[in-house]
Amino acid sequence: MPEGDGGRVGRWRRRLLDLLGRNLSVVVLVLLCLISSVATWREQNPITSRSGGAVARQVLEACQASCSVLVVARDTEADRVFAQAIEQGLDAAGARIAGSVFGQPRDVRLELERIAGAGDSLDAIATHRIASDWGPVRTAGVRVFAPRSYHWPTFLTARNLLNVVNQNADIAIIALGMTLVILTAGIDLSVGSLLALAGVIAAVAVQEWFGGTAASPAGLLAAMLLGVGAAALGGLLSGTMVTAFRVPPFVATLGLMMVARGLALILAVGHQRRLVGGGAEGTPEAVRVDAAAFAWLGNGAVLGVPNPIVLMLVLFVAAHLLMTRTMFGRYVYAVGGNVEAARLSGVPVTAVLLAVYCLCGAFAGLAGIVDASRFEGGRPNAGELYELQVIAAVVVGGASLAGGRGRIAGTLIGAMIIAVIQNGLNIAGVASYEQKVVFGALILAAVLLDRLQPKIASRRARMTRASTSTPVQ
Amino acid sequence: MKRALAATVAVAFGCALGACAGGTDGGESGSIARGTIGYSAMTLKNPFFKIIADSLTAEAERHGFDVVVTDAERDVNRQSQQVDNFLASGVAAIVLNPVDRIAIGPAVRRANEAGVPVFTSDLQAVAEGVEIAGHVGTDNYQGGLLAGEAMIEALGEAGGEVLVLHFKQANSCVLRVDGFRHAIGEYNRDRTEGRIEIVAELEGGGLRDEGYRAMADGIQAYPDLAGVFAINDPSALGARTALEQAGRADQVRIVGFDGEIAGREAIRDGEIYADPIQYPDRMGVMTVQNIVRYLDGEDFERVHLIPTELYRQADAEQDPTLD
Repeated sequence: MPEGDGGRVGRWRRRLLDLLGRNLSVVVLVLLCLISSVATWREQNPITSRSGGAVARQVLEACQASCSVLVVARDTEADRVFAQAIEQGLDAAGARIAGSVFGQPRDVRLELERIAGAGDSLDAIATHRIASDWGPVRTAGVRVFAPRSYHWPTFLTARNLLNVVNQNADIAIIALGMTLVILTAGIDLSVGSLLALAGVIAAVAVQEWFGGTAASPAGLLAAMLLGVGAAALGGLLSGTMVTAFRVPPFVATLGLMMVARGLALILAVGHQRRLVGGGAEGTPEAVRVDAAAFAWLGNGAVLGVPNPIVLMLVLFVAAHLLMTRTMFGRYVYAVGGNVEAARLSGVPVTAVLLAVYCLCGAFAGLAGIVDASRFEGGRPNAGELYELQVIAAVVVGGASLAGGRGRIAGTLIGAMIIAVIQNGLNIAGVASYEQKVVFGALILAAVLLDRLQPKIASRRARMTRASTSTPVQ
Repeated sequence: MKRALAATVAVAFGCALGACAGGTDGGESGSIARGTIGYSAMTLKNPFFKIIADSLTAEAERHGFDVVVTDAERDVNRQSQQVDNFLASGVAAIVLNPVDRIAIGPAVRRANEAGVPVFTSDLQAVAEGVEIAGHVGTDNYQGGLLAGEAMIEALGEAGGEVLVLHFKQANSCVLRVDGFRHAIGEYNRDRTEGRIEIVAELEGGGLRDEGYRAMADGIQAYPDLAGVFAINDPSALGARTALEQAGRADQVRIVGFDGEIAGREAIRDGEIYADPIQYPDRMGVMTVQNIVRYLDGEDFERVHLIPTELYRQADAEQDPTLD
């Protein structure tokens, strides 16, 4: 083989591997999406205006305009649109609509009985695949028309993709704060408990101080800020322990984790007791918020995109800018890289650490507000074991637990990788015990990668040196 | 470098591919027959819910359904996600043991909006504005009454101090304790001697280890205890261990709840006095039968509560399922 050719191939291969190595987490994410798509390749049943029109045409082709048709659909928005299209199509051709059912199988049975009782004729039922499996439809003794189904990965449906991101928006939001902490070679185990505390405080505040059901938007906002503020204060406390008293972050935040969880439970139980008028001890159930606007943040949507996703994206952009474009961001990396060097070169180490823990707490608090809004109440048991999922997301995203290395964008991808694994496993129907094994193995793989990367880098450096200078040994 | 990279990539994908392989045999047969039932269990770490899952799966497959079993691990957030995943994958029906009877509300409402029927078993949902197609559970209040009767029987005319190992997060357990308190209250009425006094309710978590710790503390706080009512078998067994370690096993009688195998064995061996027993297998079977009736448009009992029966040592000695 000519030498020049081999060199070029080698260079290309090296470049490709370089690119893959640097963006490995993106590659992993894409591959996981592909695998999830293949694993969830299923029959899809369209329930749309278009498929409704198609069913109407099927009916008309089969039995001309003279036949009498029963339209069956469920009582949902999509079903109504679908059924309306069928009715319009049949109407336009002059077919007779014997009746329309919007409801459950039982309603179909009753309607069929009514038609039979009235002595009406019935030639066909027009419906979708799901209702065509219903007992009364199958046994009606007339031809049943439904739109043709097609195959498509369930994973790759708009509903599911929004699902995946929405479900994990809170994890991703906390992971932002955790990234900052991990960049300084710290760790924060209290995030799950702070999430619960923030949610419970916000819910109790709405119910007891800001008017309950009649709470004004300003009152709701104040309650939410109170929750976030409490969580930020918790973070500040951890930061103080770490900086002023040199308590290892693991221990400081472990303590706070228990204290915050206990406080959340105490507040919730106290509220439940006041609800039932004192006496017996309350139960650790969710502190319910009835004000409809409270649920908007967690369950509402902007232009079809669920609010938690919007919030997550906004926070990610903000955090990304903070870490890449500001002095503060550079300070955080400096503290994580080498504390002493940072101190000597004038970085306000204590202030940076305090700010980092405080931010992490605030992000956990925000996630707690999202959670409370999503479940229409503050749950004292919310966020259990979240710290581990969050740390997993950050580590999978390429941050080093030794500090100094990691990116906000990497964390976003890490959070999404974890989300896709969980969702993919769930909708592919993998049993829950097996899921744990796969999930744990992936975390190990990510950490393995973390361990190998410096080695790869140094070997590469050695190789380059060896090829450019005369070998010493 | 290449080898190291390849190795890590392989490890990561190996995991993912494992998921893929596991997934295809679960989902392939979905298109034939009657569709899929999605079940979100409260926690599969408790044998009780595993029995519901197994009996539900067996009965559903007999009727031509596929079943996807998921574990909410006592986390309503996880359970809501599972409901959303069921909706995204287009199941025919959803079965839940609601982890939080109120906070599960928004998820059930989303299922209602999507036109997918939700059935509950064991625990009921009480959130506002949600539609539950059917419920099969234990008559927990009646079970609590029976537990009270068993305690009265166990303590005899002497009466004494009784401790409750609670799990307040579950409303089923709140009902059990309500029934228990009612039975004890009736017994105490117009009685000055041999009264039974409920001295405390401790949080036993419904788990063996937490029940053990709570009981160990309870022995210290209430040295004159004569009886313990634990709201399920795992916490009753935990309490038994604590009593044995303290050398008090002979003085304190235990009444449990459930009648799972470990509990029934303990009753046979005289370690637990009696259990009101539940029938998780019937819950799974009846839930599927309700789903079939729903899809066939038939009428059925929307809330069906299965009464418990008291199970004592004499029953255990004749129990063919214990060896």
